[in-house]
Amino acid sequence: MSLSIAGIGIVFTRGRGIDSYDDALRQGWIPPSQIELPYVPDKPFLVYQIEKETLTDRSILKRIRRADRFSKMAVLAAFDAVHDSGITREDEISSLGIITATALGPHTTTFRFLDDILDYGDVNVSPTLFSHSVHNAATSYIASVLNSHGPTVTLTHFFFSFHQALILAEAWLNEGRCKHVLVGSVDECGAVMEYICSRKLRTAQDGRIKPFNFSPFPLAVPGEGSVFFLITRGECRKRYCEITGVYMGTNNIEEDRPDMYVIDANGLTEDEIKYKDTLIPNALVAGYAPVFGSIMTGSSFNCAAAALMLKNQVQYACPVQDNPFGVNLCAMTEHAQIEEIQCIKNSCDQKKAVIKLKRS
Amino acid sequence: MKVVITGIGVISAAGVNLPQTLETFQHVRRNADFTSLFPIDLPYPVFEVPNIPEKWQGNRIRTLSLALCAVEEALDDAQLSDKLSGLRVGVCLGTTVASQLNDIDFYDTYRNTGSAPMGPVDRFLKGNLAEAVAGAIGADGPCCTVVNACSSGSDAIGVALSWLKSGVCDIIIAGGADELNRVPLCGFGSLGIVSDSLCAPFDRDRKGLNLGEGAGIVVLETEPVARQRGKNPLLFLAGYGLTSDAYHLTSPHPDGIGLESALLKSLIDADITPQDVCFVNAHGTATRDNDRVEGMVLARVLGQDIKVLSTKGYTGHTLGAAGGLEAVFTAAALREGWIPSSAGFVNRDDEIPITPVTKKTPIYGHYAISTSLAFGGNNASLVIACTESHS
Repeated sequence: MSLSIAGIGIVFTRGRGIDSYDDALRQGWIPPSQIELPYVPDKPFLVYQIEKETLTDRSILKRIRRADRFSKMAVLAAFDAVHDSGITREDEISSLGIITATALGPHTTTFRFLDDILDYGDVNVSPTLFSHSVHNAATSYIASVLNSHGPTVTLTHFFFSFHQALILAEAWLNEGRCKHVLVGSVDECGAVMEYICSRKLRTAQDGRIKPFNFSPFPLAVPGEGSVFFLITRGECRKRYCEITGVYMGTNNIEEDRPDMYVIDANGLTEDEIKYKDTLIPNALVAGYAPVFGSIMTGSSFNCAAAALMLKNQVQYACPVQDNPFGVNLCAMTEHAQIEEIQCIKNSCDQKKAVIKLKRS
Repeated sequence: MKVVITGIGVISAAGVNLPQTLETFQHVRRNADFTSLFPIDLPYPVFEVPNIPEKWQGNRIRTLSLALCAVEEALDDAQLSDKLSGLRVGVCLGTTVASQLNDIDFYDTYRNTGSAPMGPVDRFLKGNLAEAVAGAIGADGPCCTVVNACSSGSDAIGVALSWLKSGVCDIIIAGGADELNRVPLCGFGSLGIVSDSLCAPFDRDRKGLNLGEGAGIVVLETEPVARQRGKNPLLFLAGYGLTSDAYHLTSPHPDGIGLESALLKSLIDADITPQDVCFVNAHGTATRDNDRVEGMVLARVLGQDIKVLSTKGYTGHTLGAAGGLEAVFTAAALREGWIPSSAGFVNRDDEIPITPVTKKTPIYGHYAISTSLAFGGNNASLVIACTESHS
């Protein structure tokens, strides 16, 4: 596999755009928002939410005024990825492939539609809410805003949807279905999901996700957001890095040593001990979930951090550096010569996925 | 690289397996009624699967039960049951309902009390369709669920084609599955596109769709892998086209430019001409917009005399399952050498330049197309081939 990342767009808790993300990675950890769950006022809940102001861009969103928050996040990230790539030719944009990965889909809109059924009965529900509750509404809006008529697919898998999206993107480029592919992820954390998280997850009361605790009982801080990558094999103005491989499974992963591992430990799996076993001893390790939160599709955010590091030849300090096992953490933000990064994700059933990135 | 269809399996209101389904098609039986699955205040008939085989009834996720039933038939057909060990097997399935946490009782309890039992959430988290099927059959290759609304099943098969061509696995279980559910029934009702009588695809007096449920599964392999295990392939997945209208969330482009492009791309992918296509199993939902646009495009690309049918008159619109079911029906028709009457069609619509078949019709040729259109402006076209022609 050899694909170039030519553009990145991102919407996350601290803003929008790859420069904002770079700033956040340099700045390090800041506490998440503290909110009250609607029915549990006595117990504060911590979450990395996206501010409403982040999602107001009339020039882009005017064509999709009815879009929900989920779609707006995806559209802005996808639009920015294309803009960041410098691709402006109409024929290239109109034939883009678009692959969106999501774990949970636009569940806030789904629950609003259920409100309609419960409040007004089966006959009087909103068609707008229904049509926005389908998972591929966001992808459709991306295509509409970009006026892109290429292939579009929305994929869902609780842990590896972003990895599957990258694999499909390579296949499409191999087949010549398109010249460039927008590949990204989007997931939101609405009120009901916050409640579910409060019941299903062990949440970090101090707001700190600790990726290097390798705990059998890891702590999470739910987050939300969207990242899109403009992936190409063609000429492009900008190159962050090359994707040289996406490997998935239990035992088929090559164990060559990268310059750095970026691990997706974020408190969403039942057990994070396996991450420790994955790492080659003394290899440099980082994990940036404390910047954007615990997101099922968080691999894409870590992948964006890795792409920035390879492009800028800088390593970002791990935002939370609790390190009981004494692994070789990336402790300081500084210039570094980095040729290869492996982004690693483990699932609940101990499957593993690796995205290999190399300097362009 | 050629991709072979070595197994097919179906379950829908038309039958719990392929032989039963073909018999239903032969006799033009339309097994629709009001749903027994959930209470609802809407007067719409649906195509419900009356009896999921007992073996699969224990599953608490109905969509998964439907999928596993069709997967078993497809694996049996491919002579792969209990033989997946050691093979790189992927699973790519389309759905709509199974991808959503839309349990009304859970949500109602949460709204009323601020707390709700986590059972429905646990089922949802264990119920990603492709993950659950992969776990059930022991497949450890690539695995994902396609959620492209009503073209999910077709697109899952298309994704599988791309996976096989790029060599990420040897065999793939692909298709779609969806259960009848109150939420989409209310949703489609709110859009004013559900008929209170039996659906009539492409008919002048069509009043809208009927919802249905089911699963349609194909086993896909690369030709060398199939031959290596002694199969002499008859059916092929020859081409796939996928485009976006970039027009509207729920309506197809009025000129059908996206569908036309998808059709043409699938023909190019299969390296055939429009004259090579012997019939089309159309999306044909029986809504005013879909059938008008689709009929217009089919005539434009394949000619007004192309043999066309919609099998939704037998199954209803099964949403994420539709593309899977219709791919299986298309493959089966090529193998059997006939297509059934397009149930529900009686009167030609002057706005639609094609005329669906009104009786069991022999087909002569090697290639057929199955089309799917979806919310979000997705258009998918699958070209299926059969090495034997019944001419």
